[in-house]
Amino acid sequence: MKTKRVATLIAVSVAANAAIAAHANSLVAPGAHTGIANSKLSANSQGEWNRLSRVDGKNVEVWTLDGDALNKVSFYGGIANGMPLLREPDKKRHPLPKVSGTMLMTDIPALLETTYRSLGIVNQMEIGEQSPAILGGRKAIRFTYTLTRAADQVRRKGEGIGTLVDGKLYLVTYEAPALHFFDKDIERYRQLAASLAL
Amino acid sequence: MRWSGIVSACCAALTLTPPSFASAPSALPPYTPAYEPTTVDERGMWMEADERERLLRDSPLRIREGGLERYVREVLCREVGDDRCKGVRVYVMEIPAFNASMMANGCMEVWSGLLLRARSEAELAAVLGHEFGHFELRHTLMGFKAKRSATDVMAWVDVLGGITNRDMSSANVSLVGSLYRFNRAQETEADLLGFKYMAASGYPAKAASEVWQQRMAEDDATALGRGLKPRRNYTSGFFDTHPTDLKRAEYLAKAAAALPADGDARVEQYRAAIAPYLSRMLAAQIKMNDFGGTDFILNSLASSGGWSGELLFARAELYRTRGNPRDLQMASLWYRDAKAAGYVAPELDRNLGLALLRNGQTEDARKSLGAYLVARPEAPDAKMIQALLAK
Repeated sequence: MKTKRVATLIAVSVAANAAIAAHANSLVAPGAHTGIANSKLSANSQGEWNRLSRVDGKNVEVWTLDGDALNKVSFYGGIANGMPLLREPDKKRHPLPKVSGTMLMTDIPALLETTYRSLGIVNQMEIGEQSPAILGGRKAIRFTYTLTRAADQVRRKGEGIGTLVDGKLYLVTYEAPALHFFDKDIERYRQLAASLAL
Repeated sequence: MRWSGIVSACCAALTLTPPSFASAPSALPPYTPAYEPTTVDERGMWMEADERERLLRDSPLRIREGGLERYVREVLCREVGDDRCKGVRVYVMEIPAFNASMMANGCMEVWSGLLLRARSEAELAAVLGHEFGHFELRHTLMGFKAKRSATDVMAWVDVLGGITNRDMSSANVSLVGSLYRFNRAQETEADLLGFKYMAASGYPAKAASEVWQQRMAEDDATALGRGLKPRRNYTSGFFDTHPTDLKRAEYLAKAAAALPADGDARVEQYRAAIAPYLSRMLAAQIKMNDFGGTDFILNSLASSGGWSGELLFARAELYRTRGNPRDLQMASLWYRDAKAAGYVAPELDRNLGLALLRNGQTEDARKSLGAYLVARPEAPDAKMIQALLAK
């Protein structure tokens, strides 16, 4: 009886470890990467990054250098018309704002802000500069922003680039604490953003 | 058999009678200036509260400018009396939800969402008085003790159940229920103490019940805006820590009816005090993706002071954010109405232009966006607006 219990425990432990391995954060080696955020988004990174196993949404992927509280690159890959940027904790009672096929470029940073505010992730956020850019050969918007996350109340800065292709939203953002970290890694993000292709 | 009998007796006692911690003080505690915590529990609680207050004091969310915190404190003092409010510190935080709270050490936190929703000093005072009631009745301490007692007893009930091999879940469920009932009783107690302050303050006593009526109406509007049935609970559920808004509105209205109806709600003074912050609060509320609730708030503000340029602009923003063709049409109308009503910020031209552009009215959009660029050539989004015009 005792032996059987031990065997069961071992089996459960092995299964749990296998599950952890399957969902562990992973290293992103330098070089070309395709299919980012389950989409046609691709990039060519010069240095190493870490991809978080955490899934914030169906077409969302998060890369970081030191942990997403310190430097966070979020890829939103082809969010379709009528879909939210991030997973909705309560679709019925607390729905998130949705991507719309008729959005203007200037609505992209606004959608990011309303999504964060609706989720209660931030209570202070301000969009800064907005200028035209090119993402994967298409007209896009580049924007900067500042925010204070509700959870830790640390002032952060952000930069993003986004575009709409056939009514689908492609957006990549970089966020880091305004103190030290944003400036430390902004060039690595910009290199990554410059290599994006659709 | 013997153990089983003891456990059965314990269960019966616990199930039939809520634990004795539910007893409440019958009279107002005497006011003690510079009160110091006396017991181990209370000292620990104050230490935690002091730490939390340090975080609040240094928080980037705090609205420090323009004396808003001083004003809110003055309202509290008018409500509970200068003597009682002397030691209170008030921190106003930029969080767009209806909330205020007070910690055991006399630190009060008020969220900007409450200030946006209150329509008069009297309504704000009703909420502040309620929170002050919790503080004065030392509810944080009593709640902590109640929780500890209940969870201690639950742990022992589990041990006894294990020894005697009996299912103790019904006894534990009863204990959990008593704890939530205790929370609801505290809320009611604070409501009624707050009401006593209200009655003595010179504010009209009916304001306390009107606060909860407004909350219910806003919740209904939020639900309808999301295509849901209004979720109005008429009775408190097992896990509710607060009485329902309906129940609160009822007993407060009943208490108010017994008093003379006069009193000055100080509507104008309140409006003047909030005016410098109104745009900021409205902008944050509009971005909460709560169309029905936000429209209700705007209508509520307009019902007492009329549709000012600022409110019309906010309504246009709300509709433009939702972005259906019909919304964009209405937004364009309201932007123009706001301008006619004297709202002169150049951002109005930009947002009108964006609403028109999104709605396919390109020529009109060009005029508005062009006017924005003339007024704000160095705006941080000027390059992007120019790019939209160049399309």
